[in-house]
Amino acid sequence: MKSSELVQGTLDMLILKTLALEPLHGYGIALRIEQISKGVFRVNPGSLFPAFRRLERAGWIKPEWRPTENNRRAKFYQLTNLGRKQLKAETEAWERQLTAITRIMRAPAIGNL
Amino acid sequence: MFDLRSIVAGVRALFRKRQVEREMDEELRGYLEAAAKEKIRSGMSQEEALRSVRVDMGSMDAVKEEIRSVGWESTLETIWRDLRFGFRVLRRSPGFTAVAALTLALGVGGTAVVFSMLDAVLLRPLPYPHSERLFRLFPLEGKRKRGVEQASYADFRDWQWQSRTFESLAAYQGSSMNLTGTAEPERLEGSTITPGFFATLGVGPVLGREFRSDDTESVAIVSYALWQRRFGGDAGIIGKPIDLEGREYTVVGVLPPQVRFRSMPWAAPVSEIFVPVVPVPARNWHSVRVVGRLAAGVSKEQALAEMNGIAARLAQAYPDSERAQGVTFEPLAQYVVSGADQTVWLLLGAVAFVLLIACANVANLLLSQGAAREREMAIRTAVGASRGRILRQLLTESLLLAGSGGAIGAALAYWAIPLVVRIAPPFSSLFSRLEDAHLRLNWTVLVFSALLSVLSSVLFGVLPAWKATRPAQSSLAASRVGRTRGGLIALEVALSLVLLVGAGLMMKSLVRLLDIDVGFRTEHLLTMDVAANSSTPEKQAAFFDHVLQRLAATPAVISAAAVTDLPLTRYFKRDGFQIPGPHPVQGTANYNTVSPDYFRAMGIPLLNGRGLQISDSAKSPLVGVINRSMASKYWPNENPVGKTIEAIDVVAVPAPEGFRMQIKPRLLEIVGIVADARQYALEEPPDPELFIPYDQWPAQEMRLVLRVAAEPSSLIPRVEKEIWRVDPDQPVTDIKTMDEWVAREAAGRRFILLLIGAFASIAAALAAVGIYGVASYGMRQRTHEIGVRMALGARGQQVVWLILRQNLTWLVIGMVAGLASAIALTRLLASYLYSVRPTDPATFALIMLVELAIAGLASFIPARRATKVDPMVALRYE
Repeated sequence: MKSSELVQGTLDMLILKTLALEPLHGYGIALRIEQISKGVFRVNPGSLFPAFRRLERAGWIKPEWRPTENNRRAKFYQLTNLGRKQLKAETEAWERQLTAITRIMRAPAIGNL
Repeated sequence: MFDLRSIVAGVRALFRKRQVEREMDEELRGYLEAAAKEKIRSGMSQEEALRSVRVDMGSMDAVKEEIRSVGWESTLETIWRDLRFGFRVLRRSPGFTAVAALTLALGVGGTAVVFSMLDAVLLRPLPYPHSERLFRLFPLEGKRKRGVEQASYADFRDWQWQSRTFESLAAYQGSSMNLTGTAEPERLEGSTITPGFFATLGVGPVLGREFRSDDTESVAIVSYALWQRRFGGDAGIIGKPIDLEGREYTVVGVLPPQVRFRSMPWAAPVSEIFVPVVPVPARNWHSVRVVGRLAAGVSKEQALAEMNGIAARLAQAYPDSERAQGVTFEPLAQYVVSGADQTVWLLLGAVAFVLLIACANVANLLLSQGAAREREMAIRTAVGASRGRILRQLLTESLLLAGSGGAIGAALAYWAIPLVVRIAPPFSSLFSRLEDAHLRLNWTVLVFSALLSVLSSVLFGVLPAWKATRPAQSSLAASRVGRTRGGLIALEVALSLVLLVGAGLMMKSLVRLLDIDVGFRTEHLLTMDVAANSSTPEKQAAFFDHVLQRLAATPAVISAAAVTDLPLTRYFKRDGFQIPGPHPVQGTANYNTVSPDYFRAMGIPLLNGRGLQISDSAKSPLVGVINRSMASKYWPNENPVGKTIEAIDVVAVPAPEGFRMQIKPRLLEIVGIVADARQYALEEPPDPELFIPYDQWPAQEMRLVLRVAAEPSSLIPRVEKEIWRVDPDQPVTDIKTMDEWVAREAAGRRFILLLIGAFASIAAALAAVGIYGVASYGMRQRTHEIGVRMALGARGQQVVWLILRQNLTWLVIGMVAGLASAIALTRLLASYLYSVRPTDPATFALIMLVELAIAGLASFIPARRATKVDPMVALRYE
């Protein structure tokens, strides 16, 4: 399976979406994105962690140190109310764009005008 | 992005940096472990898994840097790091840092001083509300319709009644008054004003009221300062009597402290006492200055049209007596600055040159630094610093340099500004504005200096920084740097040459001015102003007789005399006279009332006939003595002694509304001729002058002139005591030696010379440092080559020439450019020069030599050092 680059600007949305189910730590989020996309998207820590900090600064996610299964502690991120609203807004915007793009891509070829 | 959350998080990251970093480490480590575990689970060995994870992640530090750079605080940290590094770099070469910072300090400090003057003279608004609507009005007179200072009272009243475009008009006139009765008698600077004067300006009294049209003549308003000084801030002063000029006045108002009104902004001190204008209805008697407040929404052009219509109607209605043929205005704000703005702009231009030279110098210093730091830059580029990053670092260094230079400069300005106020020429609008502004280092000036420092750091920092990021590997690039440095030197030479020429021209003017033969002996002369309290002419003459007798008998006083118009005091009364005969000749002359001993006291030689005598009294026939200019102008081919002329006497006659001025012709016989002496001002050649005895033409206010055999100022207490023996209530003011009057005449030019001279000296010194720096840098660069040449037998002279030649082209270019600029720019100095042309060849030649000597010496010293190079050492160099 070939991994591919994320569409520009969608990483934030994917992180928010992943966290909508439950709080996760950094690797958990990366793994979840990879699994759900069936390995199409592989997120590099070099973009993942700056994104966490960005979202944290925006107040959309909240960090919390929690013990992990093997008794270490890890930083778990959790969606805030503000983040939930943001996710909703971004999802809607994304769907609108997707529909529009799909419509364009499926339009019959009308030759060169 | 700058919401509260981000700010709080950023501040936290800054102040709890260690914790934030630790958490970041832990989080990333946790990620690595979790990722490795996942890989192990899918069948990799532990070692393989760790390696794979590391490869996926890339450089751990790079990731951390990415994370850090999300917050705004990281920018702050980078700047801080740059600053710390820059500080270390500057400390590493203290010599360079000191020279650069001091150079900038001189440039910024000097500019701040001149800017503070500009601020006081031009930027401070008048202390009156909506002062942009205040105008001074001048009647237009004569064939050329020249605007004159004063209008007739009658014109003023007509303007006031008829004008609709002016919300209000008021008139005033300067007038000094003796305040007596309470403590020591004092002569006060004051003004006479019409009712509604202060309302026109837009200020109300802090106590009492201003004059009303139904007031008597005997009411007075005092300034805040006088109220504090003479009356101890007495709140019950309103309604109390004070003695002015021997008459009783009632105080009706006290002005607020911010009102610093001067009847003549270029000459008069602040008025402390105000009394009503005494109306003179004669249309041809110009006695008041008019100020007006335009009605809101009226343009200057509309008002001008209306006022000129009024003036035209008046000229038609009174064809015999109306002198005004129109009206012109000047904004009051401009009127009070009159001329000072020109001086300030001139000085600002001069100091801008100094600043530019300072910037060029520091740029040059940074270029040599840049060359020394080439290796450092190469290494930093090699380890991955981007060009922008290096540029930022170098600009930070410049900014740091500018900051320290600016701070020292501000300190310099703090010290120099009071100094400038002290040497500012008194009796100039410049001085008035500086005094009224209480000039000192203020926030405006500090902010200006800070901006200036930043601006100059960009000016001198960008060029070297840009060069530094382009390593000069090829000889082509090296020669480019050489050209830049040469160009900077040429610029410095050119700018300093212009300033030196300016200073030279001013110096020559001042020398010429002080070289003028004034026509009398200025040393050992004590002068003072005495305005008699007595009101009748007979009593005034008797008072001065008495005073002069006492003073003449005082030890160390050789002779004592009185005169109405003392030379060089910038006050002279001119009037017409007539030579009677079948074809009467009209002439004009300065009328000067003197006591008989005047010529002896001043040392003005008698050329023909006799001088004035005590026997020329009120009862004897009228006589006069004329100066040589009057004799040669009106009697070119005959001896005027014994001739009779008809002189004009103007007497104030009481009239229904105030006074009427009556012109009374009086015949007098010319009995003698004296040599010419300067009159109005030092630089103005003598006009015809008529000396008349004070017993026959009594005056209320005279200046006493004492020729003394001691240091003049040591006699002041004794002289005052003698005058107070005659009248204990007599103020004695303006006590000055004649040499002080001469110095005051030269004060304006001396001020400009001192400042431009200071700027020129700094400029020349900076240029010398710059040339020296470039020459020694060139020498260091070529040490190896010099060693080879000397080993091969080159003589010292040849080596010196080698180094000199490098700079020579640029010096010549600078000299030529400087010469051309000086020729173009010294025109701006023309109005400050006396009997020197702005392109005076002698001055230009001398200054060129001086500049050449400075530049030559600055290049010669390093070149000389080159010959001391030991060839063996030089060859081992590198």
